[in-house]
Amino acid sequence: MYSTESQSMATEPYDWVENLKNESHRDDAIGKLREVLLRGLKGAFYRRGQDDAFCEDICQESLIRIIKNIDSFEGRSKFTTWAISIAIRVGISELRRRHHKDVSLDAITSKNDMKIELAVAEEGASGSDIDQRAILETLGELIENQLTDKQRTVVRALLGGMPVEEIARRTDSNRNAVYKLFHDAKLRLKSGFEASSYSMSDIESVFA
Amino acid sequence: MPLSKQQIDTLLTLVVNSSADAMECDGCLVNVAQFAEAELMGASLCESMKKVQTHLRNCPCCNDEYEALLAALEFVEA
Ligand SMILES: [Zn+2]
Repeated sequence: MYSTESQSMATEPYDWVENLKNESHRDDAIGKLREVLLRGLKGAFYRRGQDDAFCEDICQESLIRIIKNIDSFEGRSKFTTWAISIAIRVGISELRRRHHKDVSLDAITSKNDMKIELAVAEEGASGSDIDQRAILETLGELIENQLTDKQRTVVRALLGGMPVEEIARRTDSNRNAVYKLFHDAKLRLKSGFEASSYSMSDIESVFA
Repeated sequence: MPLSKQQIDTLLTLVVNSSADAMECDGCLVNVAQFAEAELMGASLCESMKKVQTHLRNCPCCNDEYEALLAALEFVEA
């Protein structure tokens, strides 16, 4: 299986799309889907400290979203797997929103906030301490000279624990664009290290 | 505040493990259900599923959602 991209993974005995679209079966289908989603949400979110009320709220919002977007289901997975993937994203987004509700972007990304403190012990510095210091110096220079202001802000915010979508919300951007800034920043740092004759295994061996 | 030691380690790990990634977060979401099923079945990955895998390695946010999806599927199948 999975040798071709168009291959459908599994046939489900119950035709979710048909039943959710059919007015006379709809209520029954929504009830069944709600059960599946709730079970999945509990599996994912109990362990993240959430309770039944949270799972029920997310389930309700997810049902609306799933039914609204039902035509975008392409049948490349089971319908329930697709539906659960949407519910999970709704739930995680909500957790992220709550967690970062009172955090402003400025609070974690003020200018010059990408300083690298070279806190390597001076006395008794070993060979690897010296290597570490050199790598940190290079990292500091690369951050300063190779990244754009926007890239620095995104990297700083992500390292400060703010998720991509929360940064997007605060910068009138979208998740894809923020991810791209972060991704390009990492690649610039990587090629910057390589241009300074550091291989990735050099860095791993010193910081592992 | 300067970057903490832990943040520097995280950044260096992300830099070391970064690779060309043709997919963005929205593309990952569209494909992640199919990817999860392929992974759970131990099926070999076609090209578009390999792109999902690369994105998950590069994107901590999508990866976090993927872990939650696996936990949910485990519970539903049980
Ligand atoms: Zn992503």
